[in-house]
Amino acid sequence: MTSLAVPMEHVLLIAAVLFLIGFAGVLVRRNVIFLLMSLEIMMNACGLAFVAAGAKWGQPDGQIMFMLILAIAAAEVAVALGLVLQLERRFDTLDVDAASELNG
Amino acid sequence: MTGADLQALAPHLVLIGGTLALLLAISFVRSHVLALAVTLATLVATLFALPASNAAGARVIDGFLAIDAYANFFNALFVIAAIASALLGYRYLERRITLAHREEFYVLLLTATLGAMAMASATHFAAFVLGLEVLSISLYAMIAYPEEGQAPLEAALKYLVLSGVASTTQLFGMALAYAATGSMAFEAAFSASSLLAVAGQAMILAGVAFKLSLVPFHMWTPDVYQGAPAPVTGFVATVSKGAVVALLLRYVVETGALGAAPLVLGVVIIAVVSMVVGNLLALLQDNLKRILAYSSIAHIGYLLIAVVLAASISGAPMALETGMVYLAGYFLMTLAAFGVMTVLSSEAGGEDAERLEAYEGLFWQRPLLAATLSAAALSLAGIPLTIGFIAKFYLFAAGAEGELWTLVWALVIGSAIGVYYYLRIIFTMTKTPAAEDEGEAREAAPAAERAGAWEAAAVVVALGAGIVVFGIYPTPIIDIARAAAQAFGG
Repeated sequence: MTSLAVPMEHVLLIAAVLFLIGFAGVLVRRNVIFLLMSLEIMMNACGLAFVAAGAKWGQPDGQIMFMLILAIAAAEVAVALGLVLQLERRFDTLDVDAASELNG
Repeated sequence: MTGADLQALAPHLVLIGGTLALLLAISFVRSHVLALAVTLATLVATLFALPASNAAGARVIDGFLAIDAYANFFNALFVIAAIASALLGYRYLERRITLAHREEFYVLLLTATLGAMAMASATHFAAFVLGLEVLSISLYAMIAYPEEGQAPLEAALKYLVLSGVASTTQLFGMALAYAATGSMAFEAAFSASSLLAVAGQAMILAGVAFKLSLVPFHMWTPDVYQGAPAPVTGFVATVSKGAVVALLLRYVVETGALGAAPLVLGVVIIAVVSMVVGNLLALLQDNLKRILAYSSIAHIGYLLIAVVLAASISGAPMALETGMVYLAGYFLMTLAAFGVMTVLSSEAGGEDAERLEAYEGLFWQRPLLAATLSAAALSLAGIPLTIGFIAKFYLFAAGAEGELWTLVWALVIGSAIGVYYYLRIIFTMTKTPAAEDEGEAREAAPAAERAGAWEAAAVVVALGAGIVVFGIYPTPIIDIARAAAQAFGG
């Protein structure tokens, strides 16, 4: 329990800040690649929070969840990059606002 | 893992085996018919493995997946929806996708079904995340499947980014809950006394609300419904939402996450707003896909009555039964509506038959399809003699049992508004086409092609018949659901 050099709350706070940075990026950025990078930051913030929580309880579960998150993020990005390629090929742009035919 | 565990997992194993077989088959022989055949064989085998799985009794596998009658009820729904989607998709793909790219669609369909099945059984955060992502990532690719046009690509990107934000919100919530309680198993992952745990639960529920497209997390729904190809829209509307509902009910019962008053209040507000806003916005639409999107927002809002009831220990069996019966009805009517759309879209090239004008005079040209769509619309409106009425009746009963009168009133008001736009669909079909050229264009479609979509038409008519038959005689569904709800957790 006390093996953690830094209090868990501090790590969670950093994770929350990272999460918000990523979230702000998703809201502000219009380039698809940067959108995906922002998503990735959010994913890693979750991973950090899991590792901190796992360390607090002295269990490996938090790190296992982090590996699971890495795998999921990789799968998601693989599909996302396929879509990005299609976007570039069909519309010659990486701007998500250029692709807004649907009204909503 | 014992033999009985393996027997309980039989449906999942059959489905995984079938998916691998399909992947292998595709890499050797590119044949659309073969891919469909392997897919259907796999799904039917999975369906037959479900009773065997039930016979093994309720089992929790490594604290990870709970395979019980409750999960298998939903598994049956998912597999039936996948069979319907595969049959509906066949002609659609044949008409719209070039020769070399049709077969992978079925692989995605099978993996998406597998993800949904994992979600129905999840009892641990890791299984929750894994099932959800296997389902979602397959769906991204399925939505973007058409090779031309901007709408599918845009819908897929939008879904991917927004769903990614929702998933990460959920993950962060799980991390907070884990930090607070030290457990990722549902039954121990919540304590109402810890602020961290309550915040975590709120984030998890927000992520779930996004996946269920509840107001205020509903923005993506109409766009994704509209952009996705018609057979995929039907799949998204049923399986992806059904899986999340199955998970949410189990989650609420096992964690007691709604034990904290602010969370219950939040869910009640979301439910009322979804019922009202969903129905009101549906009034403004001229596109059948968007109408059904807003209608689904309202319908999942109705279903939250069961979720709130599930929070009380005495109400849990009734809530689970309600959830199962309601979703069975919702699956039938939604698939029937999108099925009709798919059949019409497979025959005409270009855009999907999604604008309401495309349905003018359908009663005179295609009486069977029109009758099915009418049955689906009446059922969605909750008119007696349809399964939708039984489903809604269950919600009233559940609301009355939990004395959730606010929600019951919202249900009444929402349903009353809804009748208008459901009847509008039917009236549109009885109109004689105003624009003659459009009617002629339909007439001009070669008879051979029209006869071609017979398997899709058969599925649609079977779904329509199911709506009426189970609307008149719902006992089989109710019996299975009741037995599963009673056996839940015990």
